[in-house]
Amino acid sequence: MWQYIARRFTYMVFTVWIISLITFAVIQLPPGDYVTTIVSQMINSGMEDLPPDFEQQIREQYGLDQPMVVQYYKWLRNIIVDGKFGYSFVYRKDAKDIILERLPVSFAISGFSVLFIWAVALPIGIYSAVKQYSLADYLVTFIGFIGLAVPSFLFALVLMFFSYKYMDRAMIGLFSREYETAPWSLNKFLDLVKHLGIPVIIIGTAGTAGLIRTMRANLLDELNKPYVDTARSKGLSERALLWKYPVRHALNPFISTVGWILPSLIAGELIVSVVLNLPTSGPVIYNSLLTQDMYVAAGAILILSSMTVIGTFISDLLLAWLDPRVRLH
Amino acid sequence: MTEPLLEVSDLKIHFFTDEGVVKAVEGVDLVIERGKTLCLVGESGCGKSVASRAFMQIIRKPGKIVSGQMLFRRKSDDGTEEIIDLAKMDPKGYPIRQIRGKEISMIFQEPMTSLSLMHTVGHQITEMIRLHTDTTPTEAKVSAIKMLQRVGIPRPERLIDEYPFRLSGGMRQRVMIAMAMSCNPTMLIADEPTTALDVTTQAQILDLMLELQHDYGMALLFITHDLGVVAEIADDVAVMYLGRIVERGDADTVFNEPKHPYTQALLRSIPKIAMQRDELEPIKGMVPSPFRRPTGCQFHPRCAQRFNLCNQVEPANTHLNENHSVRCLLYEDAEARTSNAEAAAHG
Repeated sequence: MWQYIARRFTYMVFTVWIISLITFAVIQLPPGDYVTTIVSQMINSGMEDLPPDFEQQIREQYGLDQPMVVQYYKWLRNIIVDGKFGYSFVYRKDAKDIILERLPVSFAISGFSVLFIWAVALPIGIYSAVKQYSLADYLVTFIGFIGLAVPSFLFALVLMFFSYKYMDRAMIGLFSREYETAPWSLNKFLDLVKHLGIPVIIIGTAGTAGLIRTMRANLLDELNKPYVDTARSKGLSERALLWKYPVRHALNPFISTVGWILPSLIAGELIVSVVLNLPTSGPVIYNSLLTQDMYVAAGAILILSSMTVIGTFISDLLLAWLDPRVRLH
Repeated sequence: MTEPLLEVSDLKIHFFTDEGVVKAVEGVDLVIERGKTLCLVGESGCGKSVASRAFMQIIRKPGKIVSGQMLFRRKSDDGTEEIIDLAKMDPKGYPIRQIRGKEISMIFQEPMTSLSLMHTVGHQITEMIRLHTDTTPTEAKVSAIKMLQRVGIPRPERLIDEYPFRLSGGMRQRVMIAMAMSCNPTMLIADEPTTALDVTTQAQILDLMLELQHDYGMALLFITHDLGVVAEIADDVAVMYLGRIVERGDADTVFNEPKHPYTQALLRSIPKIAMQRDELEPIKGMVPSPFRRPTGCQFHPRCAQRFNLCNQVEPANTHLNENHSVRCLLYEDAEARTSNAEAAAHG
């Protein structure tokens, strides 16, 4: 058991390191850097006669003239030793502050979305499998395919329209006006939870539909296994044996999905956040990539990826707890 | 003095699939005597497993009991003997669940997959004990350990906390047997319990089951296609072909004087140690598709002794004597026999 955890943990650290390498490399890939962006902005705004060594000066100032390996080393060292993620050229403050301002909201939305997806997909998937080919099963399958097929931004726009027209309230943003700039407090958190409903539903719909399919298919496989006959031949009631045996076996793949569900949620969150004007990290990452604000982009991507890896690690632990075969082999 | 425990008559089980109705069991008559062993013999797909599952009402979808009676004798709650018809019970209802495991229990073919790999051996046995008796978890554990010891498992107090995937096939089947016997049932159904095991383990498991039957006195319905096993354990034998019992009688009679051409062919197809011939004698032809059953006698396309009536007349059950009956036109009545002779003369 401990060996299993130690091995998984080593994989996790190694994976995060590889991610940091790739993240940094990818961000350097597009031609030019933040200085190029500034210079072209200055030229656009009419400042034609820049000093000839202007670009060079700024690059030296920010350390952008050094080779990539050195930049990477400094960046990683700062993160590990000082917990600093570098400097945001655009916002003119620590990249960490910008990321920390936005990421908790992203995690709140993703976390609630996962809970929402589980809470909805698990019972519906089970019901759909047990009552295979019933009217309810067909209905759930039909709605599920619609949920999978409709793009989340379209769903967001439609919900926005209806809320505006019939509820007289635009569902934009995540906070009521009085909390928008207020520091974090319990009341602000409760206000956030109140506003989370709609985005969580929009972000979670596709995942829910997918997971209902997964759960249904898994459970259908398990329902005809001989151990179910054994349980029935003991005299257990249908409901008791269903939850105790086949559902328990079908949960394995379900738990493994926690790992891959997070990145897809974060990708989906970006579009929905733009449409609904939510202060999450998605739009910030997007803008920082556009303006080549490299430290913000790299820091945010690194943290998000690490969280995904950690999510996978947690799902591995859950799996070991749930399934003795994983634990004991 | 024998006493019937379960009397099955005209049991029909059909599977309603999208491609059509599969008549898996098409009129089975059986009597299982208290404390005796009945072997149900037949090729794969003849309906023997389905029929045995019907006795516990655990037929899988889309199978359904469409007609028949399954009269089961049991002690009612007030201590008197009552006869109930298992065929009429709701498969999901409480009354049948009280009989399952407690009065009729079952051992399945695949010890590898019949136990849940996610629950400990002890958990799966005590669950059954606690379901049917009024015991505390500790008491249930004690009797589970006793039962495991009884089926020959070494150090049962340690094995009880083990997961089934860490046990060998033979050990798992012993666990299954311990589980099935843990509530001291009056009838035990064993659906090819030794098929998935290697030969030496097979022999051990068979010996164990006979021993348990001797000690506990339960009736044993043993389903198998292995005639060697039948010879070893059976009191009575029922031979099944395409959803019907074609011959039944006590083991000696069926082995020494088989009447039905199918039984005769089955017995001829077993290799013998002192065999003179070089080749085995398999039964010709294939088991027909359940969607296209032959007319008349179901066996006639493969039968060496068929005559002109066989593809038209469905044979009824003929009682040769008190303990021996057969479903074949050869034994039916004078008229059939005459036409049989005529057919032979023409051939």
